[in-house]
Amino acid sequence: MEIQVWSGWLAGLAIGLFVVLHFWLIGKPAGCSTGYGNVCGLLCRRVRYYHEGEYSNKNNIKLWFLIGIPIGGFLSAMHSPDAWHISFDMGMYDEILPQSAAAKAIWLIFGGMLLGFGARLAGACTTGHALVGGAMLNPPSLLAGLVFFASAFFATRLLFGT
Amino acid sequence: MSKQEEKNPQHRYSWLTSIRLTIISFGYAYRANILSLFMGILFGYLMSHAGATTFDYHAEMFLLTDLQLMKVIGTAVVVAMIGVSLLKKFHINSITTGTEVDFVKKPYQQGLIAGAFLFGIGWAMTASCPGTVPAMLGEGKISALFTLIGLLLGTMAYGVLQTFIASQGRYGDVLKD
Repeated sequence: MEIQVWSGWLAGLAIGLFVVLHFWLIGKPAGCSTGYGNVCGLLCRRVRYYHEGEYSNKNNIKLWFLIGIPIGGFLSAMHSPDAWHISFDMGMYDEILPQSAAAKAIWLIFGGMLLGFGARLAGACTTGHALVGGAMLNPPSLLAGLVFFASAFFATRLLFGT
Repeated sequence: MSKQEEKNPQHRYSWLTSIRLTIISFGYAYRANILSLFMGILFGYLMSHAGATTFDYHAEMFLLTDLQLMKVIGTAVVVAMIGVSLLKKFHINSITTGTEVDFVKKPYQQGLIAGAFLFGIGWAMTASCPGTVPAMLGEGKISALFTLIGLLLGTMAYGVLQTFIASQGRYGDVLKD
C-alpha cells in the first residue's frame, strides 16, 4: 500500500504543532504507551498494578487517545492513491525476517514484547520521551531518547548486516 | 400536549429535546476524552503521512540512506520546543482543565537505561513504536496485529513484575484482586 508521504520538514512541522496543540487543549503532555497499561488493566482484572495509582481510572484520556490512532491511520489510508486494502507487505523487512509466516509472527510478537516492556521500564515511548520530553528539555527524557536511537541504530545495522 | 407527555407528566421535554440534552451532557462530561479522541485521530493521521508507519523509512533512517524520519522528529522537536516555551512564557490556560498547562515531566526511574535499550532493540525488530502500531493497524497492515499482541504482553509482564515487587516478592499475591 502506498501512503502519500509528505516532505519530512512539513510533516515534522505538523507534528510539532500537534504537540503544542495537545498541550493547549488537554493541558497534559501527549503519550501513547501509558494507554496500553489501561488496556491491560481492562483485559486482566487481577493484575493489581494496573488498577492502582494513575491506572485507578482506566476510562481516561490516554485510552481514548489510543482508540483514536487507528481511526487516523484509516483516514490517511482512505485517500491514498490505491483503495484501502489489507496488506502483508513489509518492505525491506521481508528479506531479513524469517521466511515462514509463523516465524515472522513470532518475531514480531517478541519485538512487540521488547517494545512494551522497555517502554514501561523507561517510563514512556518515543512519543513521550523523545518527542514531548525532548520538547520540554527534560534531562531523563533526553537520555532515554538518546538510548532509544542508539540501540535501535546498532540493532538495525546488525539486522541488515552492514 | 402529546401522548407521551400525558403518560409521563414529569418528563416535560419532547424526545428530540431529551436526546439533544443527553448528547450535550454526555459531551460535557466526556469533553476531555472526546478531545483526546480527536487528538488521537490527528496523531494517527500525521504519523501515517510522516511515513512513520512505513517499514522502510525506519530501516532507512538507521541505515542512513533516507533521513525522512530524522527530519520529521528533528523538526517536530524544534517546533514543539518553541511552542512549549511560548506557552510557558504567556502562561496560557488549557482548554479542558481551565488552569495553566501542566508541564509534568517524566521523572528518572530505575531501569530507564535498560528499558530504553530493550525498547530500541524492539524498535529495530518491528520497525514500529507504540504510537505507530495502532495507526498501522488502521492502514490495514496485518503484521501490526502481532506487534500489538506482543506490546500488550510486554506491558502486562511489567505490571505483573511491579505487583510482584510491591507485595514483597511473594508469588501468590501477584494475581489477587
